[in-house]
Amino acid sequence: MKTVLEKFFGASAKGIVIKDKLMTGYAEVGGQKVCVFGTCDGTYIDNAAALRLAAHVIDCIENHRKTPIVMLVDSAGQEPNRTAEMLGLASYFGHLLSCLQLARQNGHKLITIATGKAIGGAFICYGMFGDRIDALDSASVGLMPIEAMSAVTKIPAPVLEKLSKTMPSLEFGAKPFALLGGVEEVWKISDDYAAKLATAIASSSTDDNRAALGKMRGGRKMALDVRDRVLAETAK
Amino acid sequence: MSSLFHEQTARQRIASIVDSFTEFLPPPERVMSPYLPQLDIPVSFDDGLVIGRAKIGGKPVYLAAQVGQFVGGSVGEVHGAKLTGILKAAARDGIPCVLIVESGGVRLHEGSSGEIAISEAMRAVFECRAKRVPTIAVIGSDIGAYGGMGILTTCCDFRIMTEHGRLGISGPIVIEKWMGKKAYDSSNRALVWKTSGGKTKFLFGDADVLAEDDAASVSAAISKLLAKSSPLTLKSIKARQQELEKRLKAFGKTSDPDVIWKAHGLASIAEASLANAKEFAALAKKK
Repeated sequence: MKTVLEKFFGASAKGIVIKDKLMTGYAEVGGQKVCVFGTCDGTYIDNAAALRLAAHVIDCIENHRKTPIVMLVDSAGQEPNRTAEMLGLASYFGHLLSCLQLARQNGHKLITIATGKAIGGAFICYGMFGDRIDALDSASVGLMPIEAMSAVTKIPAPVLEKLSKTMPSLEFGAKPFALLGGVEEVWKISDDYAAKLATAIASSSTDDNRAALGKMRGGRKMALDVRDRVLAETAK
Repeated sequence: MSSLFHEQTARQRIASIVDSFTEFLPPPERVMSPYLPQLDIPVSFDDGLVIGRAKIGGKPVYLAAQVGQFVGGSVGEVHGAKLTGILKAAARDGIPCVLIVESGGVRLHEGSSGEIAISEAMRAVFECRAKRVPTIAVIGSDIGAYGGMGILTTCCDFRIMTEHGRLGISGPIVIEKWMGKKAYDSSNRALVWKTSGGKTKFLFGDADVLAEDDAASVSAAISKLLAKSSPLTLKSIKARQQELEKRLKAFGKTSDPDVIWKAHGLASIAEASLANAKEFAALAKKK
């Protein structure tokens, strides 16, 4: 992970601490200070992890005004666990999202890079909440791989496989996810990550443009129109 | 028509809690999933979500109710776009938004589109909150609020639950598969409800109100919250951080919900289990 962090942040990556597969710290991008947090090695996010990440967001809001926040995602999601559920894991995730929302309201830009696994709940609980969401082309982005989807829905994998050729929503990976508008840009391994990140920070917007992107790229054709129709009918 | 909220359908629930209701994109308009026909799965003419404008207790609201009978109330591209649309309308017009949630989360058959749809709806919930437009989630059925929809309800200003409602991320069958039947038996209804049900969520404060399992009680609870909002401030999120840390420290080592009930002053588990919402709230306060 350290080498990947250096590709993003150069020598300033030393300001990021990795503990129990969670990263928190402050670094620099193009001479500008950024707050960094995230997951690595495909770890699971539990109640304690959500709190640690939330605490870092709170520290950034309180002590580093308007500093952009960079979220790195490499997590397989949450582990189904009765104690976690009993204590309200959903509320812990909701709290992390609420902290990020307050950061947004206070002028912090929120940038997400999916670096590894960005699957289901792990992506929803912080990364997908970014103003701008990019992914490395090697990242595993999506709801779940086709075999897993087949096991749960009881639809044979070859059927899903065939349909995924025309329905990127069923396909798993950074590129199909970008066709849906869920990822703005997919980065190649040969890209200059630091330069890319600086551009991402500079060009981010707090408007959620994912439905429009999905329509433009043809991967998610109905979302924008249905939403706009509701907005038009409610305005009558 | 049944008067028990948990037995009602989405449209019956709406009819029984509102003074008046106008539906947007109703079934005759056939706004449906483009995915399901390709998988040979029947569609629903409203894609499992009823949205509209209503009056509750004389006050205007936007309202969305999920249809649990249709693919588990799951969120696909169209369902999610309707939800995001009504939430954005609420933010635009400054009218509170009430969500009657009954969903297992993302509609797996629609893959990542449903996942992004829930994330977009979350952004819209927070668009309301940034403008101090109240967002209220009602969870009152066995299907509950799970997966991404469970997380979404925790992003709202307030949650009203009945004892039949369940809130979480992983459902009981998923937990059983993962941990083994010995560690968690999903057919043990008492255990499942004490783990994720309305009463336990109320003790923790994750449910702001524990309502009775009837429309009048739910409607009254909504009315009371319509004039309030729960703005995000540095002070409020720091308090929440402390509270969640305290909860994890106090109960993170147990898997027995009775320990939590007792710690909240419920001396007799049997009595508290049978108590209605009002009685339960009174028992929990007696500490």
